[in-house]
Amino acid sequence: MLISTVLSEEKPALVAIPVVIVAVGIAPQMVPEAIGISLITVLMYVVLTLSWTMFSGPTGYVSLATAGLFGVGVYTSAILRDRVPIELIVLLGGIAAFLVAFAIGLLTLRLKGVYFILFTFGIAALIRSSVQWWETHVSGTVGRHVTGATNETVYLLLTILFAFALIGGFLLRHSSPGLALRGIGENEDAAEHIGIDITRIKVLTFSISTALMGMTGAVMATRFRYIDPSIAFNPLISFLPVVMAILGGVSKLYGPILGAVILVVLQEFLITEHPHVYLLLFGITLVVIVIWLPGGLVELAQKWYIKLKIQWIKLRMRTTRFRREREAKKR
Amino acid sequence: MSLLEVRDVSHRFGGIKAVDHADFEVAKGEIVGIIGPNGAGKTTMFNLISGAIGVEHGSISFKGEDITRLRPDQINRLGLARTFQTSRLFDGMTAFENVRLALIYGNPNRRFRYEEAEREVNQLMATMGILSDRHKPVRDLSLAGRRYLEIARALAGETEMLLLDEAMAGLTPTELKKAMAQISSLRDRGMTILMIEHVMEAIMGVCDRIIVFHFGQTIAQGRPDEIAADPLVRSVYLGDA
Repeated sequence: MLISTVLSEEKPALVAIPVVIVAVGIAPQMVPEAIGISLITVLMYVVLTLSWTMFSGPTGYVSLATAGLFGVGVYTSAILRDRVPIELIVLLGGIAAFLVAFAIGLLTLRLKGVYFILFTFGIAALIRSSVQWWETHVSGTVGRHVTGATNETVYLLLTILFAFALIGGFLLRHSSPGLALRGIGENEDAAEHIGIDITRIKVLTFSISTALMGMTGAVMATRFRYIDPSIAFNPLISFLPVVMAILGGVSKLYGPILGAVILVVLQEFLITEHPHVYLLLFGITLVVIVIWLPGGLVELAQKWYIKLKIQWIKLRMRTTRFRREREAKKR
Repeated sequence: MSLLEVRDVSHRFGGIKAVDHADFEVAKGEIVGIIGPNGAGKTTMFNLISGAIGVEHGSISFKGEDITRLRPDQINRLGLARTFQTSRLFDGMTAFENVRLALIYGNPNRRFRYEEAEREVNQLMATMGILSDRHKPVRDLSLAGRRYLEIARALAGETEMLLLDEAMAGLTPTELKKAMAQISSLRDRGMTILMIEHVMEAIMGVCDRIIVFHFGQTIAQGRPDEIAADPLVRSVYLGDA
């Protein structure tokens, strides 16, 4: 069902997705080195936002556990970096985040609305505090050094994760579980009454999407080179993907990508140009986005597209009428 | 053997007994109506049967299987589906997507190819007379269209019994006649129906039996003519002149 649906309905996307992945992959060779390094941060947030959107987009369950699961990946990498190859570390970071998310899911996904948001935020803080306690009381350290990987390796791994997130997000949107998640977002009671095992589907999708967050953390640890709980579990990593997804719009697959790219670029610009008032300006921008763009840029673009189309049709009608009148006069 | 058996079921909301030792059964192929004044416990009874709220006392069985402690999705997959008093359609989807989702998850043992699912969904929508609305967003449907869509969605699983909660409320006289004919035709195809309804014309016109609820209790059960003549029912619900 899935394959035939995809083939019949989404031909443009089937072409666009590989093109975008290849373009992202070769982007660092096309830009100056300084920008190439910034692309790592852009790509990190793009993957995190896409992963966040997989579950939270259709269901409306706003998870603030991203930092916790990203941090699990970071610490997996910090602990295993010198023992196993980086590819395996990334995989293990994903598995660790999946397992933690699975446990969180079983605990929290019966909660709804603001309770779910607060609980996930609390869980992220709990993971951070637990790691901090472990590090100070058991490991006897504040932070850890992580053997770094080259920028090229980090970028390549992030590109692979981006490909997983993009293809995974696309397939999910066109699959029965994707439709079921939309149903849960629309009306959870009704979804349950048409035979959807809502707890199972929520826990599984949440856990699978967060595996990508853990993998991203595992990759980024090799770029940070020094990590401690405040770096690994930075609360901004929980908040920014939410804002990026809202800015871009979750109704289309490209929305979160657009939101992530714009906000990271804006953030980098403000940090460089206005370092003293960066957080103030960034905060104002976020408030404006939430108030003025509730449907995101995707919805705005769709509205403009419809308006332009109407204007174009009106113009064509006017031209045709004018031509007919001129021809009638000639006769 | 009865298809649905409700035995001595009670449920409280705080100090209020919403359902009080309710006891009735529905045989296969029957259309049974539930009537009663507002607050009599009719919708709570539906919520208890469909698993939306837990049963505090008593038992409910469907097809001989105890469903008292099952979740709504498990009950649905056994073949017992419902509609809601206030529409709970997925408004952001098309009518087609609403039914397709129910078809996929209501039939856990079948894997649908896209064309097969499309054919079955179209068939269900044609049965309810809303095939031409299939690609419309749900929010653009008329009230009657929404009601029919909810029934089509409920029928999409391996449904053997349908619980209709005021499915005919707000319909025009013409729409009402059509809806009554639709419900009768569903029974002709083997469906068992338990329906809550305030429209007496509908309940008297299509039901084989009627159960009367009052303060959570089943105070009378019988054929429509028996219920209409029952003095107790007349005094609490129909109004005794």
